Amino acid sequence: MRSFTYTAPTSVADAVAAIASAGPQARFFAGGTTLFDLMKLGVERPSALVDVSRLGELEVIDTSGDDHLVFGASARMADVAADPVVLRDYPVLAESLWRAASQQLRNMATVAGNLLQRTRCPYFRDELYPCNKRRPGSGCAARDGIDRGSAVLGTGDACSAAFAGDWPVALLALDAVVDVVGPRGERTVTLADLHVEPGDTPDREHSLAPDELIVRIRVPVTPAGRGSTYLKIRDRESYAFALASAAVAVTLTGGGVVEECRIALGGVATRPWRAYAAERAVTGRPLSAETARAAGEAALAGARPGNLNAFKIELGERTVAEALRIAVERAGR
Amino acid sequence: MSTAPARVDARAKVTGALRYGADRAPESVAYAAFAVATIARGRITGVDTEAALNLPGVRLVITRFDPDELTSPGFIMTGGYGFQSLQPLLDDRIAYRGQPIALVVADTPLAATEAAELITAAYEPEPAAFTLDAPGAETLVQAQAIPIPMFADTAVGDADAAFAAAPVQVDVEVSGPNQHQVPMELIGGVVEWHGDTLVVHEGTQNSGAVQNGLARQLGISPDRVQVISPSVGGGFGQKNSLQPHIGPLAIAARRLGRPVKLVLTRPQTFHQASFRPASRQRVRLGADSSGRLVAAIHEIDQQTSRHDLFPAMYTEVSSRFYGIGAFRGLQRLVRTDVQTPGYMRAPFEHIAAYAMESAVDEIAYATGRDPVELRLANDTAVDPVSGLPFSSRHVAECLRRGAERFGWAERSPRPRSMRGPDGTLIGWGVAIGAYPGSAAAAIARMSAHDTGTVEVAVAGHEMGQGIRTAIARLVADDLGIEIAAVKVGVGDTRSAPQHLTAGSWGTATALPAVHAALRDRLGVPRTGPVDMRAAVAATGGSRIEIEATSVARGQPADVVVDRLRKGLLAIAGPEYPEFVTFSHIAHFVEVRIEAATGRVRVPRVVSVADCGRVASPVTAASQVRGGVIWGIGATLREQSLVDPRYGGFLNPTMEEYPIPVSADVHRIDVDFIDEPDLLLNPVGVKGLGEVCMVGVSAAIGNALFHATGARFRRLPVRIEDVLPHL
Repeated sequence: MRSFTYTAPTSVADAVAAIASAGPQARFFAGGTTLFDLMKLGVERPSALVDVSRLGELEVIDTSGDDHLVFGASARMADVAADPVVLRDYPVLAESLWRAASQQLRNMATVAGNLLQRTRCPYFRDELYPCNKRRPGSGCAARDGIDRGSAVLGTGDACSAAFAGDWPVALLALDAVVDVVGPRGERTVTLADLHVEPGDTPDREHSLAPDELIVRIRVPVTPAGRGSTYLKIRDRESYAFALASAAVAVTLTGGGVVEECRIALGGVATRPWRAYAAERAVTGRPLSAETARAAGEAALAGARPGNLNAFKIELGERTVAEALRIAVERAGR
Repeated sequence: MSTAPARVDARAKVTGALRYGADRAPESVAYAAFAVATIARGRITGVDTEAALNLPGVRLVITRFDPDELTSPGFIMTGGYGFQSLQPLLDDRIAYRGQPIALVVADTPLAATEAAELITAAYEPEPAAFTLDAPGAETLVQAQAIPIPMFADTAVGDADAAFAAAPVQVDVEVSGPNQHQVPMELIGGVVEWHGDTLVVHEGTQNSGAVQNGLARQLGISPDRVQVISPSVGGGFGQKNSLQPHIGPLAIAARRLGRPVKLVLTRPQTFHQASFRPASRQRVRLGADSSGRLVAAIHEIDQQTSRHDLFPAMYTEVSSRFYGIGAFRGLQRLVRTDVQTPGYMRAPFEHIAAYAMESAVDEIAYATGRDPVELRLANDTAVDPVSGLPFSSRHVAECLRRGAERFGWAERSPRPRSMRGPDGTLIGWGVAIGAYPGSAAAAIARMSAHDTGTVEVAVAGHEMGQGIRTAIARLVADDLGIEIAAVKVGVGDTRSAPQHLTAGSWGTATALPAVHAALRDRLGVPRTGPVDMRAAVAATGGSRIEIEATSVARGQPADVVVDRLRKGLLAIAGPEYPEFVTFSHIAHFVEVRIEAATGRVRVPRVVSVADCGRVASPVTAASQVRGGVIWGIGATLREQSLVDPRYGGFLNPTMEEYPIPVSADVHRIDVDFIDEPDLLLNPVGVKGLGEVCMVGVSAAIGNALFHATGARFRRLPVRIEDVLPHL
């Protein structure tokens, strides 16, 4: 860990001004649950930290609106996971949160910081190894190494590190947006446009400028929330990252036909992954074991396995199918 | 009888009041950190410490010690004290990735850490081997490489001929991964000089070895070294000997004239301390058509380091599981470029049982016999290796009682024949475990006060297993006094010579001896409750001090007591002159495999243990649950990942090394035979902490077979192994 400067602005405007003046190696942080880890490992070496955990205006959790659920950027994961409306009407959101990390971490981590959580690829987290994401152009140790955790969707020649988050996957399924403030004013970015595939620049993981600050997340109100789940398969029952996960939300017609279907995947892709083809495979049909399996296969179509992660294709397919079953069962209650 | 609290230190533990070695914070303490090698084998050609030395707060950077100020502590298995013979910072050789290349001492932990990161080195790397199959890995036959009887291969009869003639044969190959102990308490301590006396506070299972090893390394008398291991936050074998950081800290503390504290980081504990070596086993079992086992051949390749031969002792236990008349073992060691691996809970027995008890399960299926019934039919009261009787062996009762509690009779034997309503694959499996019953020489000191208080000091370390509680109970029960009146001192070289605490019960022999000596001195009867206050007052003094020495059966007293005082291993067993002692256990396991996703869960375990007399029921049951949970982790979760291009371990953190979490743990029913083994020691106790893990993996593996019809030969069994068998 190296020395750095620290500022704790008290308004969004001051925070944006602070980061702009602190130079290119400055970082925002709120809960610090990812950044501090990476600083201890020497992977992140910020010259300056701008603490946005004290911006009271960003801690709002408002689930009463007719159009959107609103989660301030600094709302804690634990608090959103325990919100009664989220618990009752959006199990996909609640489950994606409480199946992430541990209670202690969720008490610290914020819902906006979690969107930008970095990969758990072991080669990224140790300076010993070449890693195009950590040091562009240095190569990829995972490619010929232990790539069991790597992605099979959205992979690139430079990097196939899996996106590690859960909550962003659920948000993507629900077409959430983030409101962002920067020196050039405020703009809105859809979840679909927030994260980017690695391509030739795996060090670039999202579409925000370094001086832009997420101020809130908005989730469109949808009846599909009630018929939803976040299913996460991992190496232990808690405190582990997903090998494969699926966020699924559905509505049914009175006759049990799937009317609307939203499917996003985690653990298997380089970014939160929306599975539109899988959604189409289910929409307009009653869910059967066959259609669920077909949706799973559609979701993983085009997957490119590495050395040790081919199992993620079948596991991803099964996870989608099982999540669909759970979501449809909930929608039918 | 005493009114016993469940654990004497329970309140201190849950309130955070309990003190561990590195909690000590003496005035003016300085903080140390290591810079470590980034190659796995080769030579250092230069170390650049300039940036580190220029950092504010840095007091000292040491890259090399002189041979006259620090030497090797020697390897604990060859008459030394260290977990390995290699002492870093003595020369330019790098033998494993993560080996320290410089010690930094600074005013703050932050400065020490940052300075260590600023140190860079230039190397001449050499090709290195990390896995059993790697080019450059060197395989030795242990019996030739270490010509000492206790490390010889077990052999009885003509196993090859008997196997060849057997009508039923199974041939099982199993590979076991590298695993790490991952105790909650990191490795570290505080070292300070009080005049000419070196005082070390460190969480260790073997303060006697730390004391005597440091004396050897520094060339001073052991009388000038005091080691205090107040409580160990889990050791599991990783803290069973002198760690190589303490000697350098002692020298740094002397140079600076300040106490020095060092706590390794979690990744450093994966790279600078022992671990479970990778292994490969082949078991061939022969039986007659009724399932009577007639031959076993057990061959093992076990990883070791380049610089030490960590002895394999698998066949000592695998030859005793059943009454098999013909047995041949072959243990080979494979030298690789790692720090020396070592003892991790049930070090050989856990993985040996996976191979043996998987093979036995296959014999049961091959002969159409129930796995419990087949095991009962092959039980023995006589040790098949020595021909001596077991001092106690209750395997059959463990199996019968376990089967009853588990409801084994309801099992449908055919694989894949038990399913939940949602298609869940259900498997029920059984396996037994055994662990050698050791005993060690011990010296116990006791002082009785006219206040009624009794202080007892004996070899032993509190590592969470509840030894303070067990000793307090034994003393209180035997003397008929309140448990609250007993003060237990363990893990402190100032109070009694300290032997390694690991599955042996020197304590159990020493306590009755010191009780008897105390009763004689007080002039009270040899049995019955003692009115301590009155008895001490009647001597005319305010306190009585007694010391008693005990040795295990067949141990030459003068030799072993001398070894004990020198901090060396002074263990006997499992073969004693008139009998052979093992602890035993039977595990019954249910696995459920989610049909949709292949997730494996272990909803139910029944374990029935034969550990002689149960010294402390609450801590004993807790020990067994811990062993079972570790067995679940070792079978379904844990592996230290090795990238053969780089060496070291790829997942050296709590986040990435998947020890089980609470959500992985379901119902674990524990029962004990609770029959004292009075041949082994007068208290009648046998070891429990290790045997409780032995056989868990095999029972899970056998349950997985029952659920899926597939045998899993490589541990851990992960979701990708199960998916093809849904």
